[in-house]
Amino acid sequence: MLGLIPTLSFAQNLTDGLMMPKKSLCTGFMYMHDRWTDYWEGDLKRDNGNIGHVTTQSLTWVGTYGITNKVNVIAMVPYVKTKASQGTLSGMEGLQDISLGVKYNFFGKKFEKSAFNTFAVLNFSTPLSDYTPDFFPLGLGTHTTNLSYRLTAYYKIQQGWFVNASGAYTWRSNATLDRPSYFDGNEFVMSDEVKMPNVFDVFVSMGYQKGPLQAELNYIQQNTLGGGDIRRQDMPFVSNRMNMIKTGALVMYYLPAPRGMAVRGSAHYTVAGRNAGQSTTLMAGVLYTIKFDKNQ
Amino acid sequence: MKNKNIYISTFLAFAFVLGIVTSCDKEVELSETLTPLQPSNLDEDAANWMPIDANAMTIEKIVNIVENSTPKVFNPPADITSDAYKAELATIKDTQSKLTKEQKDIIEYWSGGGVLRWNQILRGLVARYNLPPAPKADGSYPAPDAENPFADPNFPFANPPYAARAYSYVSVAQYEALKAAWHYMYQYNRPSPYKNDSGIQSLMPETSLPSYPSSDAALSGVTAEMLKLLFPAAVEEITLKAAEQRNAALWSGKASTSDITAGLALGKSVAALFVTRARGDGMGAAGGNKALWQSLADGATAKGEVPWISLETPKRPPMLPVFGKVKAWAMTADQIAAGRPAPPPLTSSAEMQKEVDEVKWYADNLTRERLAIVHKWADGAGTYTPPGHWNDIAAEYIRDANYSEVRAARAFALLNIALHDAAVCCWDTKFYYFNPRPSQMNTSIKTGTGVPNFPAFTSGHSTFSGAAATVLSYLFPSNTDYFQGEANEASASRLYAGIHYRADTEVGLQQGKSVGGFTVAFAQADGAD
Repeated sequence: MLGLIPTLSFAQNLTDGLMMPKKSLCTGFMYMHDRWTDYWEGDLKRDNGNIGHVTTQSLTWVGTYGITNKVNVIAMVPYVKTKASQGTLSGMEGLQDISLGVKYNFFGKKFEKSAFNTFAVLNFSTPLSDYTPDFFPLGLGTHTTNLSYRLTAYYKIQQGWFVNASGAYTWRSNATLDRPSYFDGNEFVMSDEVKMPNVFDVFVSMGYQKGPLQAELNYIQQNTLGGGDIRRQDMPFVSNRMNMIKTGALVMYYLPAPRGMAVRGSAHYTVAGRNAGQSTTLMAGVLYTIKFDKNQ
Repeated sequence: MKNKNIYISTFLAFAFVLGIVTSCDKEVELSETLTPLQPSNLDEDAANWMPIDANAMTIEKIVNIVENSTPKVFNPPADITSDAYKAELATIKDTQSKLTKEQKDIIEYWSGGGVLRWNQILRGLVARYNLPPAPKADGSYPAPDAENPFADPNFPFANPPYAARAYSYVSVAQYEALKAAWHYMYQYNRPSPYKNDSGIQSLMPETSLPSYPSSDAALSGVTAEMLKLLFPAAVEEITLKAAEQRNAALWSGKASTSDITAGLALGKSVAALFVTRARGDGMGAAGGNKALWQSLADGATAKGEVPWISLETPKRPPMLPVFGKVKAWAMTADQIAAGRPAPPPLTSSAEMQKEVDEVKWYADNLTRERLAIVHKWADGAGTYTPPGHWNDIAAEYIRDANYSEVRAARAFALLNIALHDAAVCCWDTKFYYFNPRPSQMNTSIKTGTGVPNFPAFTSGHSTFSGAAATVLSYLFPSNTDYFQGEANEASASRLYAGIHYRADTEVGLQQGKSVGGFTVAFAQADGAD
């Protein structure tokens, strides 16, 4: 894992302009396969014979429930597994961070042939296991508690075409290491506690969504607001300034039968980065929507 | 109506969490904070304590240099009633009347004790410079160049043997410089400025330590000179810190300009003696060359053993294969050879297979608890190394003992000569037997930290820890159990990580204790107890 904060890697529902109707639950599993060979050591792009390709796989349970038509709760629980193809370093696996979010469609306006909606999302994530934050690039994550504030604007025309823009500021708690001191890329610190910079991300997508089909192209940018660079030939560190730009595509399709069953697939590629791997990410999942309110 | 409540609650939740986040303080809590040093004993007789290496420096030798050089290193102090000295006092009064916040912070920082502060700074330098060179496009590795230290790769690569030697040179030179300062301070008995003029405040704890030559200035001079030799690319940071220490002595009313000038000159003169020793101690040849690396492998093969090979890609030359020939502090070359452990199990033996299988089990069963121990002691690239970790451990005990500066320097000197000698003995053993790491014997062994790029037998961590725990147990006997426990844990962490066999760790720990014994034997007779 040398990359995205957890919620961004798995969570379409947090950034998109769609809501589950009241008393409906959309739940399922997403499988992710992420691999990189080249990475950016600071600004320098390189490969490393002591790790080869780094592969991260995850299986994530996702659930979105409509409390009302305008307020949804979104939950995710990922199990993550990492592996390096070369060298001796051991891969890691385990439950990563649970993520719980509230999405609020606080403004909506319908025009004659289109609609505009805005959403606010508050998302909380925290580690579910005591995995180490001190084993990059093969660790499972940063082992921090994160709080994200997200605003999303979504404009869709009657024929089904849409554009969506979303941005979030994520506050991260400090990380705690198993050792009494560390060098963070800039300075030597006599503490086991690491000051973690916050993160800003932008998510823009455009595509088509009508009836059973949703298809989009998207752009994801994440900037860590501080932190040191990986020094020449050093290991990555939990508080590094990990930045990246990814582009990709996503398709979701509700099957004719059984009713409520949908498949989702996506692919992303990192086009630019700093202290991050140049990864190719593939995701596939199955989702099922249950309506508890039979009157709808 | 019900929906409205939900929207209000949602909004309030957003606002509430925002409140929590903005009020959260991310400043990390630092360990090893220092409070103003108030020594419980001034150790007036410290100049009589035995020198660490009488060939390098004795009080007689430095006195001869100070008094018989042309011009003299420094002259006897002017009388405190002289106009020249009174002018110095006036300058201090003037400075003290307009001290800035930044100046006061510098005084407070250095009042924690110069020896402890420099030890912290040194650990930071080691961590900063402890990076292996990156491979070139052709798969070879450039060697750091002391004559071109700012180039890529930076000089030095402060790996464990380099670091052990660096900690020892800095600590020993500091100790000897302070003893020399003590010699002259009690010869001249010139009181501190704040004792000579009631208009001058003492902004550090008051003591009756004389001030000519200033021991703080001597410490700043000897340390800066040693560090410039060992970490030449850090010259800016080093010289700024050293100047800060002298300023703190001046601004706090502890030393006058002439005290400081004399102390600085004395410190530099002592450093010159240890720079000479360092240039001739064998470190320059410790990296070996291609022919030597090949002969090590051929030698092991000739004995019917599987020779060590680098597990890095591309293969990296072994780390300082001739470090075992570097001059030790408390041991002779004969004592090092005589103390070399009996060989590890033959690589083809059933006993070795058993050892490999045990490592494989630990690698496959790396619990979170054991991983925490592995990472606590990993002390790999980008850290202050195992010798630095033991300085870290020692620092709190030295601080809490309220030692005088010279006794604190003795404690770090004893610890670090033992750690240096442990590095020499361990590297001698490693390259004598040249035996492979577990992951070379069984490539399915995956490790919880990086595999160090040198042979397995004996474990460096174990040797360092055995030696350090022995010295610290001598210095702070009531904490013996703690030090031995930490040493055992550090040693075992290497087996848990999957990078060492049990024999490497157990024999290494014993070897370290025996190395530490040489230092303790020296210390028990040095006249300081």
